[in-house]
Amino acid sequence: MKIYSYCIIDSKERIGDGHIRGLNGAPVYNIPYRDMGIVVNNLNGDIKDLTKSHLLEHENVVEMLMKNFTVLPLRSGALFNREEEVLHVMEKFYGDFRSNLDRLINKVEFGIKIIWSGDNIRGEILKDHASSSHFLAATKDSPGKMFIMGKFEKYKIERALKEKAEICIAFADNFLNRFAFEKKLEKLISTNLLLNAFYLVDKERQRDFKEAFELLRIAPDNFKYLFSGPWPPYNFIRMGE
Amino acid sequence: MDNVYTRSKDIALIEILDRVLDKGVVISGDIVISVADVDLIYVGLKVLLSSVETMNRLKWAEVPCPESPGNL
Repeated sequence: MKIYSYCIIDSKERIGDGHIRGLNGAPVYNIPYRDMGIVVNNLNGDIKDLTKSHLLEHENVVEMLMKNFTVLPLRSGALFNREEEVLHVMEKFYGDFRSNLDRLINKVEFGIKIIWSGDNIRGEILKDHASSSHFLAATKDSPGKMFIMGKFEKYKIERALKEKAEICIAFADNFLNRFAFEKKLEKLISTNLLLNAFYLVDKERQRDFKEAFELLRIAPDNFKYLFSGPWPPYNFIRMGE
Repeated sequence: MDNVYTRSKDIALIEILDRVLDKGVVISGDIVISVADVDLIYVGLKVLLSSVETMNRLKWAEVPCPESPGNL
């Protein structure tokens, strides 16, 4: 038998009375440690690979617990052989778990993705730039100088693209940041993904945050906005600080 | 605000996989090295990694970018 773990919660009490089911339909339960607990279920037999179904079950358990507890979700897939091992981990990382639970109490995470047409935006910048630049004509008889100037022009176009991205991101963030406790912004991580953002929001301010997103979404910018949440605070756990 | 939730369901699976495969407290991997006397097992690590790569490829294939350029 193995013990599969889902999350740390800010309670050492029993949970669910066996009604919350996890992987393979097994009931989940709380292993208390000091003033918190780790939610697990027993698994008879091995799971060689985690399937999509397992991952959804993992998330489902964490989300059910999120309704009543502050949760620190564990990354899927961690198995223990014995309860003593579970308690060993709890003891070793108790300080980290405690500080995260204190910081994340009553908080949920939202995900925002903003997609723009990166190639088209770059094309527009290039067009504007070409019409205002005469360097090629001026340096036509100097290949070395043309090479350097070409590099410099490319750098200027990339810089213009980043500046435009920063303006767009700041505009969006201005809507959403007012209701966020913390945020993580990943900018221009692919041609079309302008922003992949995570916002940590107090449960009582969820409605405000969603309304802010709705206002942002109707902005006349031809961007695509993707919203998800509320999630357990996967992106806001800090270990080892 | 129900429409927000409806829309979020469209991308929920990808968002779930992004999180449960790659985020949250990690009590395996690097951390398990420091817990030398605990025999933690991380199930199907190679399979999970390939799933992440697959999902990353699928993710943006399923989310078409706007046809028209930004109008800022």
